[in-house]
Amino acid sequence: MKRTLLNLKIALGSLGNFKLRTALATLGVFFGTFSLVVVGNLSDSLALKTEQEIANLGNNLIIVVSGQVRRHGPNTPLISRATNLTLGDAEAIANTLPATSRVAPSGFRAFPVRRGNTVLKAIAVNGVTPDFGEVRNFEIAAGSPITEEDDRLQRKVALIGRTTAEKLFGEENPVGKTILIWRVPCQIIGVMAEKGADVAGNDQDNQLFIPLKTFLRNFVNQENVNIIYVQAVSAEAIDPLRGEIEALLRVRHKIRKEMKDDFTVVDLKEVTALKSQAMGLISVLGRIAAAASFLIGALGILSIMILIVNERRVEIGIRRAVGSRKRDIILQFLMESSFISVSGGMIGMAAGFLMSLAIAKVLDYPVTISGLGLLVAFAASALSGIVAGIYPSFKATQIHPVDIIREI
Amino acid sequence: MTPLCRMEDVRKTFRMGDDAVEVLKGIDLEIVHGEFAAIMGTSGSGKSTLMNLIGCLDVPTSGRYLLAGREVLGLKDDDLSVLRNAHIGFVFQNFYLLPYATVLENVLLPTLYRENAMDGARERAVELLRLIGLEARMRFRPNRLSGGEQQRVAICRALMNDPELLLADEPTGQLDSKTAAEIMNLLAKMNERGKTVIVVTHDPAIAACAKRIIRIKDGVIVDEQAG
Repeated sequence: MKRTLLNLKIALGSLGNFKLRTALATLGVFFGTFSLVVVGNLSDSLALKTEQEIANLGNNLIIVVSGQVRRHGPNTPLISRATNLTLGDAEAIANTLPATSRVAPSGFRAFPVRRGNTVLKAIAVNGVTPDFGEVRNFEIAAGSPITEEDDRLQRKVALIGRTTAEKLFGEENPVGKTILIWRVPCQIIGVMAEKGADVAGNDQDNQLFIPLKTFLRNFVNQENVNIIYVQAVSAEAIDPLRGEIEALLRVRHKIRKEMKDDFTVVDLKEVTALKSQAMGLISVLGRIAAAASFLIGALGILSIMILIVNERRVEIGIRRAVGSRKRDIILQFLMESSFISVSGGMIGMAAGFLMSLAIAKVLDYPVTISGLGLLVAFAASALSGIVAGIYPSFKATQIHPVDIIREI
Repeated sequence: MTPLCRMEDVRKTFRMGDDAVEVLKGIDLEIVHGEFAAIMGTSGSGKSTLMNLIGCLDVPTSGRYLLAGREVLGLKDDDLSVLRNAHIGFVFQNFYLLPYATVLENVLLPTLYRENAMDGARERAVELLRLIGLEARMRFRPNRLSGGEQQRVAICRALMNDPELLLADEPTGQLDSKTAAEIMNLLAKMNERGKTVIVVTHDPAIAACAKRIIRIKDGVIVDEQAG
């Protein structure tokens, strides 16, 4: 250990003669570890974020949306607005498919909301059943939830999201107050717990929830719902249940074999698949960039080591004369080259770490530290140093004391 | 008592392209423990080649060379390293201290390559530096020392592993005559303490310090005399 430290100290003295070159040589390793750590941390962050979003949306959730994307001609996509899902569909799913745990049909539309002189032009108003909170993981922070009775009697009551509450009431407690939704006065019976943004980035705290029947009769005057949330009994039940729902709805909607569905069933894997794909691409590109950086770094270190070996011919000759074996010389120079690369790598790891913190902050991702990413980055920097040192240290063993000592 | 060095009909041939040049043409030589010998010769006489062979930096083309009873011919490179490390201390004309290491670290250099780690190496190195009066400068870089001081540090380095043989190649070549005398005195002192000392030189005044002078010319020993 003492020997290693002494050798390293001597090496550092020699490196001091090539400060700029050494710095440039380590730059490649720096960027290599930098990108590995950034990519590693970010993909872990994204995986965690996706997991959180899915849990946030609801456990074992299947979403049935009315209508589907139809194309009229090759380049004119058009989203059908057909509202053909009914409460009957929801009841049929709940009653005939045993893999169903809970069903929450829901309608929504944006309405102006007023309290006193404060008018909010378009707030999403959701008609929901008592099961909605359970299925979609919405919790109430204060007040009471919407009950069966509220729904059956079409009571004009509302649950208010945190953001909407702040806009209308500021610091005041909204529970018990009355607001005007569109032209219907509704009493606020509860405030929702904070939920944050959904997968698409919409603020889920800026909306109102009223009983579904109130919504259908008093607001939109129709029997159709926009969406049916179905909670499966388990994660494994999701895929078969999807198929059962599709089959059931095709029968109920009298869709013939050759016709397309007039509804769409999605589960959350699809929702997050695109994001994962994008991140996968970034990861691959990041790793390619890292590999290229390590290659450049190794070449840089190779050239600096050749310089160093030439500069220290006398030192090598003397070391050989006082009894160092070839393998001692090889070990010494391999340690030096890996020391150079690992120092660059350490700085790159630290910078990459800070960078991934910054990116996570900007994107509002959870901060994760990829232990594997750090380990791989460290190993790669050490390896590139060792590989770069092989040829120069072999050259060093070719230096013989006899060549160094004066020839007379 | 077996001699420290024993050479029998040692020859050394160098290849230069197609030509083979025989530099040493049959050397018979014995150096016993405790000797203070000078190898004298002019430029091109073969004295440096002889020194390289004695110091196990090179191996003979033919003949026998026993160092401390061990046959050197046929030894592998690594074995020669180990042999040098344990038995020989080198002193060079150009001192050859490592510029990026301190005086103390330079003296410690041979201990880095010992087969068995030395206990109290640092204390021994400091003690050697005290002996030559440079203890106060052990944390200096060599370039802050005078030539004579650097050569004294180099002698400490040569003594560090306590070898039987001190091999000095023109140790005073870079020094003025007063400093040269000091260095020769130091070598004589080491000889009095039991070290075998061999000095290679072309300078008769330096050779005169030795107790035995071996003259070499055109690759053969031409004359031996007591100094």
